[in-house]
Amino acid sequence: MILIKKYIPLALCFLFGVLTLGSYYVPTAASENYMEAMNQWENIVAGFAFLLGLFGLFYSHYNKITRKVDGWGYSLFVYIGFFMMVIPAILSEGKIMEGTTLTSIGWGYRFIYNALASTMFSVLAFYIVSTAYRAFRIKSAQAAVLFVAALIVILGKVPLGQMLWDTTLGWTGTQVSGIVQWLMDVPVVAGRRGIMMGLAIGGIVTGLKIIFGIERQYMGRD
Amino acid sequence: MKNFIEKLLKIDRRLIFLTLTLLLFIPIVRPLGLPNKNIGTEVKGLYDRIESLPPGSFILLSIDYDPGTRPELHPQAIAVLRHAFRKDLRVGMLTLIAGATGLVEELAERIPKDIAPDKVYGKDYVILPYQPNPAAVMTQVGMDLYKIYDTDRNGLPIKDMEVMKGIRNVKDMGLGICITGTALLDSWVALTGDRYKFPFAGGCTAVSQMGYAPYLQTGQLKGLMGGMKGAADYEGLIGHKEKGTSGIDALNLAHLMVIGLIVMANIMMLWLKYL
Repeated sequence: MILIKKYIPLALCFLFGVLTLGSYYVPTAASENYMEAMNQWENIVAGFAFLLGLFGLFYSHYNKITRKVDGWGYSLFVYIGFFMMVIPAILSEGKIMEGTTLTSIGWGYRFIYNALASTMFSVLAFYIVSTAYRAFRIKSAQAAVLFVAALIVILGKVPLGQMLWDTTLGWTGTQVSGIVQWLMDVPVVAGRRGIMMGLAIGGIVTGLKIIFGIERQYMGRD
Repeated sequence: MKNFIEKLLKIDRRLIFLTLTLLLFIPIVRPLGLPNKNIGTEVKGLYDRIESLPPGSFILLSIDYDPGTRPELHPQAIAVLRHAFRKDLRVGMLTLIAGATGLVEELAERIPKDIAPDKVYGKDYVILPYQPNPAAVMTQVGMDLYKIYDTDRNGLPIKDMEVMKGIRNVKDMGLGICITGTALLDSWVALTGDRYKFPFAGGCTAVSQMGYAPYLQTGQLKGLMGGMKGAADYEGLIGHKEKGTSGIDALNLAHLMVIGLIVMANIMMLWLKYL
């Protein structure tokens, strides 16, 4: 049993990990064919992963409903929302438009999903403005630097801000867009590049740990 | 005075919400028409790149945003499509976000209506179906895209379409553009742009624009539209003002309100502390 549950998955992970990594650096016809086959496999597996995620989601909300945990009523909406989109999608064979008219899934997308998703995102604007007023306190030098940088970027990114800058600070001969560009090119790039390099090194290390079987969490607890 | 400031600092947040609503609503109903004078250099970079492509070149446009970020990103996609068709470029549209399929359809609906009524589906543009695995698509389009996209979104074979003539992978294309509110643009750059030496550009939300500065500096991104301002800049460059330009007024006032509130709250805090 340990052979099937442990050694074979580890061997497969090592084999395909090394081959995929190698094919990136050895661009031959064989490695291209291998990558093409892998891409098709990955697409199929990703489709099944969606299905697996769906089962997981349904199972978790089914448990919440049967156990009547706090807010279990919201879990019902997971099923209602799902079937409201999936049934019309099956009936219209996945097509959003039929000629020039909307299908039932197209209607659901445009007039339900579209509106709900936009509303959820736009509500953030109200919370950001309210939080900016109530919580953004310049209590340290770092907070002051953050505020000045944010202020300049905001002014530089909207035409009214640029007009205000020109009116009040135009006599200095500096353009706010020039300062924003400098912020983008120097401190932002430096900070972001450091983060990206850290992430990349972390990714490489984690990848190698998975390939060589040191990191095994993807196999579950057994 | 002290009591008044303390009351102001604890103001009912619903009043702030109401003020913001008014500030957003008024310019949408009655646009202020403020001039958008400073065009971003990164937006100009994308415009110049498309402008430099010879007629008939193929551009790959990845529409990777859902309705949540639609107000910022949809005007960008429309402006780019309008420019590409005006330059007689061929366009291949695809999406790697399940929630974006309806938005791609909206674009497909608008192309014959008002974006480019003279362009023909299958001859000048094609829409590829949604694929669930972005990494597989991004690497496969660098080798042989027909191995992952054999049909269009309606199930019609694409290989024989006139729009795909001479196109096998990204080496046959002029430019790739990903418009997204996710991190997919990073993946496009890493897995397709850098790996296959394929010129890539993008469009993103205003909040994530700063994060792409390293890619712009190294030339890994040839251009970038950031948020509604990016869309407004692009609309200005192609001389066709739409939602990006009209939305910039509301954006102006909302941004200034944020600045005003932060400054005001901090002045009041200092007053209470030192005076």
